Amino acid sequence: MLRQFIRRFAGFSLLPLLLLAACRPDTSETNTTPAAETAAGPQQLRDDLGRTLTVPAQPRRIMALAASMTEMLFAVADTATIVARTQVCDYPAAALRKPVVNSYPLDLERLVALRPDVVFTTTGITSEADAQRLQELGIPVYYQQYETVEDIFRGLTDLGRILNRQPQARQLVDSLRRELQAVEALPKAAAAPSVLAITWTDPIYVYGQNTLFTDKIRLAGGQNAVQEKFAQPYPALTREYILKMNPDILLGGSFGKLDSTFFRLYPELKRIKAYQTRRIYAPTDDLMSRPGPRVIESVKELRELVR
Amino acid sequence: MTRPALPFILASLLLTAGLLAVGLRVGSYETDYALIGRALLHYDARDPAQLVLIELRLPRLLLALLAGAGLALSGYVMQAMVNNPLADPYLLGTASGGALGASLTFLFVPGLTIFGLYAPPLAALVGALGVTLVVVVIGSRRGRVVPTLLLLAGVAMGSLVTAVGGLLTFLAATEEKLRTITFWSLGGFERASWATLPYPAAAVGLGLGALALLRPRLNLLLLGEERATALGLPVARTRWLLLLIASGLTGAVVALCGPIGFVGLVIPHITRWLLGTVGRGNMVFCALLGGNFLVLCDLLARVLYPPAGLPVGLVTALFGVPFFVYLLRKQGG
Repeated sequence: MLRQFIRRFAGFSLLPLLLLAACRPDTSETNTTPAAETAAGPQQLRDDLGRTLTVPAQPRRIMALAASMTEMLFAVADTATIVARTQVCDYPAAALRKPVVNSYPLDLERLVALRPDVVFTTTGITSEADAQRLQELGIPVYYQQYETVEDIFRGLTDLGRILNRQPQARQLVDSLRRELQAVEALPKAAAAPSVLAITWTDPIYVYGQNTLFTDKIRLAGGQNAVQEKFAQPYPALTREYILKMNPDILLGGSFGKLDSTFFRLYPELKRIKAYQTRRIYAPTDDLMSRPGPRVIESVKELRELVR
Repeated sequence: MTRPALPFILASLLLTAGLLAVGLRVGSYETDYALIGRALLHYDARDPAQLVLIELRLPRLLLALLAGAGLALSGYVMQAMVNNPLADPYLLGTASGGALGASLTFLFVPGLTIFGLYAPPLAALVGALGVTLVVVVIGSRRGRVVPTLLLLAGVAMGSLVTAVGGLLTFLAATEEKLRTITFWSLGGFERASWATLPYPAAAVGLGLGALALLRPRLNLLLLGEERATALGLPVARTRWLLLLIASGLTGAVVALCGPIGFVGLVIPHITRWLLGTVGRGNMVFCALLGGNFLVLCDLLARVLYPPAGLPVGLVTALFGVPFFVYLLRKQGG
């Protein structure tokens, strides 16, 4: 109880310092890089949820608790420093050679035994209760949160800074940006088609307005059919709501598959434009659901589908 | 105390009509009464708003009505059969068995289809009747249903089924599967369609008909087993019949809507408070009251959390329990 209080209090007192740090002119391009500064002592970090944590100046043992984050780490970090993966992390292939820590339910003992300097994860994957428990055991948890493709670039850049791999991160982000610019330069349809992406059929769950999908489909030349912002990122919708949206394109499975499952269950929905024009496609699951370094690959795939 | 049921039944029917009129207007499309009138009299399927009214909202309301009627009747029968006011459709494990059946398909049936049929409702029906059968076998001795034994067996099997359901939830690999299981364990009417409405309609119709014939026996049973036997009632056979009716009703509802708690426990009580224990119109009124209650709960669910609505099982408890407590206190004082 007391320890918790002290920790929380310490967090608050750190806040002004961090703000001060944030106000300083960006010095990362000059010789006095943060790396050189932090080499002296541990880094005080503030993650995307505003939580403060202390991480060694040069983390030597790291891991991720989300499949997308493992992809991020393999893209930015020195892969020798990645000590484990979770049961769902299967990309890149090199990740499969790492020992497995079960993330749900979280295998605390195995995780602690691996003694990571810092654990990275994303919102919606790791519960804050689990993170709190890990912090109490002395393992800092760094959350990232993305609503746009730009957020992912920022996330990669942040990882580069924390892990002292700025050059690698910058190179990666620069090349992703170039790829994105190339996609954006391609000719677009006059009117962006409305695209509904479903994640589950019974009940019908979809990619809501406040998900990364909205930005990705915009960059691909379409627009998320769900314009209303719901409390849940992946809201449940009624058939009536979908009829009213009348999406041009439906993502979530091939025409044949959805015809025999989704539209069999909800024959009324056969009236939507997507069904009438057979514009029903199956984008790659992992590209859809993982906000990681393959995000531009995902945008490209979506562009091929909505073209 | 027995009151004439007719005024109550007529009032319920009026309430049903009112609820349907309001219920037809709640949804994503704007639909005024002129449009509803047009849709009912000169239905034009090309107009999406009319299609929504006729193909989505109306079946949903009717399903809620039938589900409420079925569960309330089932509860009424159960309470009479075991002569215990705590009995309800959950007692026999019917409802939880149904939820378990549906959950199993989400985890183990790829594509959710068995022989070309959508698996969850089928599995829910099998689960509902299967668990009921086990409870009844445990709860009977030499072909006779023993009420106390049945109650205990029901509670025990209910715990077991809940535990297995909890295990499935715990092991659910993805968040979506988890949500589906949650949805199926709390109930809802989103799947309503004209194609499936005949099943609960037939169950409720047959149930009401059979119960009308069995009403004298049901009332004798309420006097207690010894007196009923003394008065010449074949108690064992009557109990089997009632059991069959109750589980059939619950199974038909659970297969389409998932388990919805509270209706089967409370509506029969309110019925008896209003009309007396052995009234002539009790069952019709009980069915209507249960139906109205669920339609109202579904409306609340959709208004409070649009568009998909809260799981109706939550609403029945959240709004039903305080009302029930109020009635209990009033009754006690």
